[in-house]
Amino acid sequence: METKQFVIIGVVIALVIAVAAPFLASGDPDGLESAFFSIYEAKPFMGSELDEDAAGTAEEQVIAATGNDFSYEALMPDYSIPGLDKTGEVFAVVIGTLLMLVLVFAVAKISARPDN
Amino acid sequence: MHIPDAFIPMGQALVYWVIALVFIALALRWARRSMGEEKIPLVAVLAAGIFAIQALNIPIPWGTSGHMVGAALAAIVLGSPYAGVFVLTLVLLVQGVIFGDGGITVMGANIVNMGVVGGFVGYYGYTGIKGVIGNAYAAAFIAGWASLFVSAILCAVELAIAGTFPLSLGLTFMGTYHAVIGLIEGGITAVALYLIASARPDILEHPRGVSA
Repeated sequence: METKQFVIIGVVIALVIAVAAPFLASGDPDGLESAFFSIYEAKPFMGSELDEDAAGTAEEQVIAATGNDFSYEALMPDYSIPGLDKTGEVFAVVIGTLLMLVLVFAVAKISARPDN
Repeated sequence: MHIPDAFIPMGQALVYWVIALVFIALALRWARRSMGEEKIPLVAVLAAGIFAIQALNIPIPWGTSGHMVGAALAAIVLGSPYAGVFVLTLVLLVQGVIFGDGGITVMGANIVNMGVVGGFVGYYGYTGIKGVIGNAYAAAFIAGWASLFVSAILCAVELAIAGTFPLSLGLTFMGTYHAVIGLIEGGITAVALYLIASARPDILEHPRGVSA
């Protein structure tokens, strides 16, 4: 398979996953969040019921404990576009995927010695 | 497994940034020496695919979910642990800054956990296991699983040092969840390696044992 063909097929596969991700992705907290909520007793270790109030309190507790209260506004928080629903999520992941493509290409191009 | 800002005190976060920067510098040296013109578009596509598949959280039992990290895959396909560091640093940068996934002060820790540990355990796990059992795809599965599991264990230790998790509970919970999430990492690593080896066996740095 030629490089051009490989790249096109690769990009198409990445974009198909990107478009499908917002519809297929689980809304459950990921492994680290889940461990955090369980340790702070907002969620049972082997269960799925999340106590939202306890989860909020846990987040305040951890900021108080570490003293790291740094926060910032991400452009597309949680892979969404503020004000848009599922369409926004699809666009966010697609934009991210294309951004990766361009960014990694650019950094690789700058880093690599031309005679490699 | 993206650590948010609040989880690690600023001073400790800085220490992980310093460690991360050392490996980022080594990854850039790898890129300068080893990445030819031919390979650049392939690395970019691999990174885009890893980003997309990271957005797909797959449900696991116990009300939690997991997604692949991809450092092991990048390291195996491109033949260097530093390839994992290179790709994951850029993925984590975009995820943190643009999408608020993983903090900024703690990004160094996330790069160490997922990029460095993922890349090194993935690469050396793969080459070592392949040498013993001979099957590249089984080796990729085990190395992918181990890369995620070891990252999670290190993450639990860091959060214990930070005072965020008690050590025993952190190890138990992180270990249990990620032993299962690692199966996703291992499975996708093996399947993606198979697809890439079938399409372009020549781009694999260590094609022996990988049959299309």
